[in-house]
Amino acid sequence: MRMPRTIDVELTARCNLRCKYCYFFENPDIEYIDLPTDEWIRFFDELGSIGVMEVTLAGGEPFCRDDLKQIIDSIVKNRMRFTLLSNGGVITDDIAAYIKQTGRCNSVQVSLDGSCAEIHDTGRGHGSFTGAIRGLGILQKHDIKTSVRYTIHHLNVGDLEDAAKLLLEDLALPGFSTNAASYFGNCRKNADEIMLTHADRIKAMKTLVDLNKKYNRRISAAAGPLAEAKHFDKMQKAFDENAPAFTNGGHLTACGCYNSKLSVRCDGGITPCTMLPNITLGFINKDKIIDIWQNSPTLNELRQRNQIKLSGFEFCKGCNFVDYCTGNCPGLAYNYTREVNHPSPDACYRNFLQNTPSP
Amino acid sequence: MEEIYTRNPVVVLREEFDDWAILYNPDNAEAVGTNPLGVDVWKRLDSQKSVGEIVAGIKQEYTNVPENAEVEILEFIQKLLQRGLIGISTTL
Repeated sequence: MRMPRTIDVELTARCNLRCKYCYFFENPDIEYIDLPTDEWIRFFDELGSIGVMEVTLAGGEPFCRDDLKQIIDSIVKNRMRFTLLSNGGVITDDIAAYIKQTGRCNSVQVSLDGSCAEIHDTGRGHGSFTGAIRGLGILQKHDIKTSVRYTIHHLNVGDLEDAAKLLLEDLALPGFSTNAASYFGNCRKNADEIMLTHADRIKAMKTLVDLNKKYNRRISAAAGPLAEAKHFDKMQKAFDENAPAFTNGGHLTACGCYNSKLSVRCDGGITPCTMLPNITLGFINKDKIIDIWQNSPTLNELRQRNQIKLSGFEFCKGCNFVDYCTGNCPGLAYNYTREVNHPSPDACYRNFLQNTPSP
Repeated sequence: MEEIYTRNPVVVLREEFDDWAILYNPDNAEAVGTNPLGVDVWKRLDSQKSVGEIVAGIKQEYTNVPENAEVEILEFIQKLLQRGLIGISTTL
């Protein structure tokens, strides 16, 4: 691509919550400040001028910005669409009506991690379930396309059936997506309390696969137990059938997001991905996005990551599944090993099998 | 009766490497991938020229234009119209 298709923007360092597994907070690479409105407007003018198609607004909590209408205005003016990631708690009728009238909102994603306050609030704090449900209701009232992200962790893994019932039956959402509390930000601090144990992970995989049958594949995942259940199953079948390597297998391919998008931290630092805040490629309104996209040696080196063979890593020595493995998220790899160019131990199928007791 | 088409001003043209491009309508998220010829046609849809004039212009500009070029250009224009990327400005 000549220019990025999408830019993920962490619009604010403010948030009404302090979730135990938030990837954003407690990160030494981020300066937790809010840029003034005109900095973002200048930046969105630049994105519009180069043909960026979509912006994802996250944070922090993007609805905490008092100037959100002005920011959305500048996105619309620059012929882009937008998506918002929210905890739902500070969404008002006024801002929802404003979003709807733009006609440019792809969706608003609300985090909901439990079927009731007792479960949801264990990870996100008192009152957050009520806020999320209220926010979802406001979005639905204004007919805004709404999605829900359920982050699975040690304290809510037993709640998946009830959560699916709430989201897919009671709230009649078309679907919801899942992931897992991962070793980023606040979660690193609370890892022992909050991260899935191996037994939790197996339980979540089985439950989600069963629920997806029951609910006709209305649950999705790009990461976490459901995605792993699907991918591990595919890897095992390929190995059993002695299948040729997957097209993206055998190398550090990961999701390759840095081939289609870039991210911006709340302090204006431009990064390859929100999961790689440690790699600063430049700063908005000082460095040109198009220059970074096309010429940054760091970014180009990252894009060459898919040429690095997994078989060359001590970590992967003797693994039967190397040809079917992508090495997974470089952000997680960095947090576990301090190396970006390393497979992520967290998503390793061989590790997973070695920890799984025989039936 | 001949229709004159015009570009939807909100549509974004993303000219990519390797001779391809995307026309993207942010109002409805519709996108059409195309080649340099499609981009050329797009740029000629200026509410001034008829389809016949556009085809004639293309034939003048390029060598070895296939005989069915007019049909393909018409199909392309219809696709753009269906997806809200262009509109009809006048009907002669």
